[in-house]
Amino acid sequence: MIAHQVSVFLENKPGRLEKITAVLKHQQINIRAMTLSTSTAGWGILNLLVDRPEAAQRVLSEKGHPAALREIVVVRMSDAPGALHDMLLLLAKAGLNIQNAYGTVLGDRRTAILVIDVEDTDSARQLLSEAGIETLGAEQIYYV
Amino acid sequence: MYWEAEIEQLPVGKLDKLQLDRLRQTLGRAVRSPFYRRQFAAAGVVAERLTHIEQIRSLPFTTKEDLRNHFPYGFLTVPKDGPVRLHCSSGTTGNPTVVFHDRHDLDSWANLVARSLFCAGIRPTDVFQNICGYGLFTGGLGFQYGAERLGALVIPAAAGNSRRQIKLMQDFGTTAVHAIPSYLFRLHGAFVELGLDPRRDTLLRHFVIGAEPHTEGQRRRIEELFGVRAFNSYGLSEMNGPGVAFECIEQRGLHIWEDCFVAEVIDPVTLDPLPEGEVGELVLTTLDRRAMPLLRYRTRDLTRILPGPCACGRSHRRIDRISGRSDDMLILKGCNIFPLQIEKVLMRFPEVGSNYLIVLQTRKDGDQMEIRVEVQKEWFTGNMEELEVLSRRIGHEVRDEILITPVIRLVEPGSLPQSEGKAVRVQDLRTFQEDL
Ligand SMILES: [Zn+2]
Repeated sequence: MIAHQVSVFLENKPGRLEKITAVLKHQQINIRAMTLSTSTAGWGILNLLVDRPEAAQRVLSEKGHPAALREIVVVRMSDAPGALHDMLLLLAKAGLNIQNAYGTVLGDRRTAILVIDVEDTDSARQLLSEAGIETLGAEQIYYV
Repeated sequence: MYWEAEIEQLPVGKLDKLQLDRLRQTLGRAVRSPFYRRQFAAAGVVAERLTHIEQIRSLPFTTKEDLRNHFPYGFLTVPKDGPVRLHCSSGTTGNPTVVFHDRHDLDSWANLVARSLFCAGIRPTDVFQNICGYGLFTGGLGFQYGAERLGALVIPAAAGNSRRQIKLMQDFGTTAVHAIPSYLFRLHGAFVELGLDPRRDTLLRHFVIGAEPHTEGQRRRIEELFGVRAFNSYGLSEMNGPGVAFECIEQRGLHIWEDCFVAEVIDPVTLDPLPEGEVGELVLTTLDRRAMPLLRYRTRDLTRILPGPCACGRSHRRIDRISGRSDDMLILKGCNIFPLQIEKVLMRFPEVGSNYLIVLQTRKDGDQMEIRVEVQKEWFTGNMEELEVLSRRIGHEVRDEILITPVIRLVEPGSLPQSEGKAVRVQDLRTFQEDL
């Protein structure tokens, strides 16, 4: 199943993050999860899991922000101890380079998910599916 | 295909001889002006002693300061009622600089501009739209009379009002345009706003661009946007204005009209002459100006003489495009750096566009150069690693150019001063300024 996050370039300066969340709020776009990866050179990339990724990307871009739709792999977080480790190991062993990973809870407030930002999403999904791990699609993430 | 076949192809030996003859005549005329009379007496200049054009190096320099200090008539070689026109610089502080022309000077200038335009492929059949300020600015009347002399139909459109410019182009089938490069980017924006594409909706084929330094990348971009060939023009008001040096259709440097100017390139710090091919400050002497000749004038423009002959067959040597001003130079860790060198490198990275800001700061371990560039929306993929690699690549290529490793700082688009006009390119925040 295919899903997207919105990645936005921003400078590490006071007020920059709020500028972006203000744009989304104005469009009534709901933010499910958010992580900020910062470089040592004064900038970072904000990753947003939102209910309407295409709309969010378009409106941010119109407001002048470098914003991209990035394909991600989303899996249901398991309660079993070590399950997360096993899964990441599986991807790492296959040489897949994980840019970022973050967890969140879906709208039903019960389902915990893990978002994996990896360059080769096709291979990642393939590997996970072979290992019997279900990946979630847009409908399952945004509308729950 | 030459405007003046004999002069433009004059063998180098004969050109040297012509320069020497004209230099001696010029010295004879210059000594009638209060400034040169005093300067020649102090330096012991005697025209008859010059036996080869290279001996021009024995003459003192003339600077912009000299022009200002002897404003308005100190350089005039004829009575005040002799000249028929003057052009002067705006001069926001202190005296402006003024240049007077008599009839002969204007005639010679118009001919040089006509020769220049012809050299760049513009013909009497062209419709030439002159998009630049008229009045005191030399680009207006300079190109007006030059293009008329050539025989083109000239539209004195003057500067600004992009919609009217586009209307004129369409109404009269403009084929050739003179404008400053930064304006052409704005003009293209106006075409887009009107839903027009200049490549499809106009007859434009030849541009003449000059009056502000620009890179080869910017020229190529202008050529692509408008579907034209763009030719570099060089001139300065002290040397008439346009028509000092011009690109031929080879687009490999600008032929400097050596029958009318002597060109030298000097080290701006030691003032020593530099060999062919080395970048330094251009020094010019007029050879065909009567009312107000100038000798060894320091232009402050940085360029070099390009070695070797040009495929077009003209014997007049070529200068490279102007790479900056000798007064723009930064000195960092003992290296001389010009902002244009950095701009040239950045043009290779469409991911960051051509807007930039250089910030010089004092750190514990010495002075540091930070270059801020804007991440372009179109190239952003959300991949962090990609941007980090891009930063490193820019840093390496800048270092290869200026021999100093800069800190590259990616910033959000639109956060730097705009590239139009006189943008601030350098912020020097160093606490202890090095001596120049
Ligand atoms: Zn040539």
